Amino acid sequence: MASHGVTRTVRTRTEEQRLQDLEKIKKYRHLEIQIRTQVATGTYTLDLFELTTKLLRQNPEYYTIWNIRRRCLISCRLSGAADQTASAAQDGTSDTKNQDSDSQVLQSEIAFTMPLLLEFPKCYWIWNFRQWLLAQAIQRLPLPVARKIWETELGLVSKMLNKDQRNYHAWGYRRLVVVQLESSELDGKSMAEDEFAYTTKMIRQSLSNFSAWHNRSQLIPKVLEQRGADDKARAAFLGEELDLVRDALNVGPEDQSLWYYHQFLVSQIVGDGNKPSITPALTVDEKITYLKHEIDEIKDLLEDYDNIKWIYEALSEYTVALERLQRTDSNGAEAGDLQVFLSKLRTLDPMRTGRWNDVEQLAS
Amino acid sequence: MAEATGNSEGPKLATDAHVKYVLSLDTKTDELDYWMTEHLRLNGAYWGLSALHFLSRPEALPRKDTIDFVLSCQHENGGFGAAPGHDAHLLSTVSAVQILAMVDGFDELEARGKGKAVVGKFLADLQNPESGSFFGDEWGEEDTRFLYAALNALSLLGLLSLVDVDKAVAHVVSCTNFDGGYGAKPGAESHAAQVFTCVAALAIAGRLDLVEHEKLGRWLSERQLPGGGLNGRPEKQEDVCYSWWVLSSLAIIDRVHWIEKQALINFILNCQDPDNGGFSDRPGNMVDVWHTCFGAAGLSLLGYPGMEPVDPRYCMPKKIVARVLGE
Repeated sequence: MASHGVTRTVRTRTEEQRLQDLEKIKKYRHLEIQIRTQVATGTYTLDLFELTTKLLRQNPEYYTIWNIRRRCLISCRLSGAADQTASAAQDGTSDTKNQDSDSQVLQSEIAFTMPLLLEFPKCYWIWNFRQWLLAQAIQRLPLPVARKIWETELGLVSKMLNKDQRNYHAWGYRRLVVVQLESSELDGKSMAEDEFAYTTKMIRQSLSNFSAWHNRSQLIPKVLEQRGADDKARAAFLGEELDLVRDALNVGPEDQSLWYYHQFLVSQIVGDGNKPSITPALTVDEKITYLKHEIDEIKDLLEDYDNIKWIYEALSEYTVALERLQRTDSNGAEAGDLQVFLSKLRTLDPMRTGRWNDVEQLAS
Repeated sequence: MAEATGNSEGPKLATDAHVKYVLSLDTKTDELDYWMTEHLRLNGAYWGLSALHFLSRPEALPRKDTIDFVLSCQHENGGFGAAPGHDAHLLSTVSAVQILAMVDGFDELEARGKGKAVVGKFLADLQNPESGSFFGDEWGEEDTRFLYAALNALSLLGLLSLVDVDKAVAHVVSCTNFDGGYGAKPGAESHAAQVFTCVAALAIAGRLDLVEHEKLGRWLSERQLPGGGLNGRPEKQEDVCYSWWVLSSLAIIDRVHWIEKQALINFILNCQDPDNGGFSDRPGNMVDVWHTCFGAAGLSLLGYPGMEPVDPRYCMPKKIVARVLGE
């Protein structure tokens, strides 16, 4: 219903192919009807469970079947209600037995979704189902076993991200897994440093990976807080990050990902509305010094690259920000610069002429 | 900027072919794909019907059949599944409400269905009282898509008062990023489709004052690539559906003039199959009803001649939204 990246071809079927399709439809519909008939009786049996396996292997987008599978698991594969298991955890052998069997069931379910996830990495329902399984693990299994399952999950996410570095689901899922691994439910502790190092690794593999840069921006406040960073350490950290992204810009000034990360760092310098900054102690004069330095560094890029619009765009944005900080009016030295940048932008990036006009109007 | 038209040199909108394509969708019962996509049937009906509206052929689908099908998907709890026999889900419920609004069928929902109030309760019960966000169904997936969808449907039903709108708004704000964009959850990367859901939700809630117009406009306008199409995130390929998410967001914050309209019109027109109808994600690819809806909606928003004006918040005809909301 929504195909992406599939080449348009004229599809003509021979009568034989059409009949083959009809046969496939008949089998698929038969399976579906079997499932519906059983569901109608209101009993979620092992038999029904096996049928969902068959159907989901053909069509993992069929969300209702995932729901039926969950109901089957609850009523005939997993031990009694989850809260009972937890409250009677210290009690006798039957609980241990239940936990062993729950562990087996959940692990085999996780294994069941694996090939599906590799084949359909953007299918929401598979990710949701796995998330549900993992939540069951926390409720039903001894802590070390549950923790192991979640740790394995983090390994899986890394594998998915190696295959597709920008997979939006996988990044979101990674954050979710990390939050859970950090939680007291799994006897966890902060993983901010490890995750920060992971973004460094991903960025080294590809500077264009904005998803990694984004996650890095999310982790920085936590990392600094946990390091107990004082104002000096925070300023040093900011300096290192600025160096990192500027070095990257020197070789890839056309890469939007780098510019966005630079923009993020500049937002930390000048302040981003009411949001906390990673360098909250900077005085206005210090902010101005930082910003002027960044503007100068970016101007240096023009020596090697004078036809890249991103450079002029950054310069114009930061110039406006500088004027605001300095509270200078539009007659200042910066105003002349802004005119030059905007006129370059009009030439290099005529698609956004309306925007350059608005920037000019707003500045005057 | 020249008046938005199909460039006299360039391709023209193949309206008749598109109408024929949409009408053909429900006849392909001898194709396996028809059955394999049943979990999207009600959404598909919304995409097809709204495309017909934007193409100014709203009557092309028989009204009674449409209402009969929609009502056949409703559960006792008021929610709608994607098709008869499919579990109720927020996404199909919103499509049902949008379709009923488009065919002026709320009376039928009262007379033959479970009634507006029960639908409203189904949706309201999916709000997470702690975060203000919404679940998709009883299994608890949370995402700004669901929050938007719930506000969309509840506002059309006149039942926004059933939910904590302030809390929903606060949740959207917590998804804002430094670039002015929004992600699927707090802490998630800005993504054009999520930007649309967040900005449109704030528009429906009457809280556009919370959007950082300049920053967001900047990020959105950078989504236009040299070929005229728009992408959904930095360093990704352009796509007709992302073109809609970005364009509608720009329209809501009054910044459509920050991109080149004619280039986008040409990109969208180049994604149509002029012979057999329908739009694809990119030129030369397979068409589908999803891209057909958003391709037509995009052209409408860009002022392509002869099309029914679209409301960017709802992706429905402006005049219908105005009638339903009493605006």
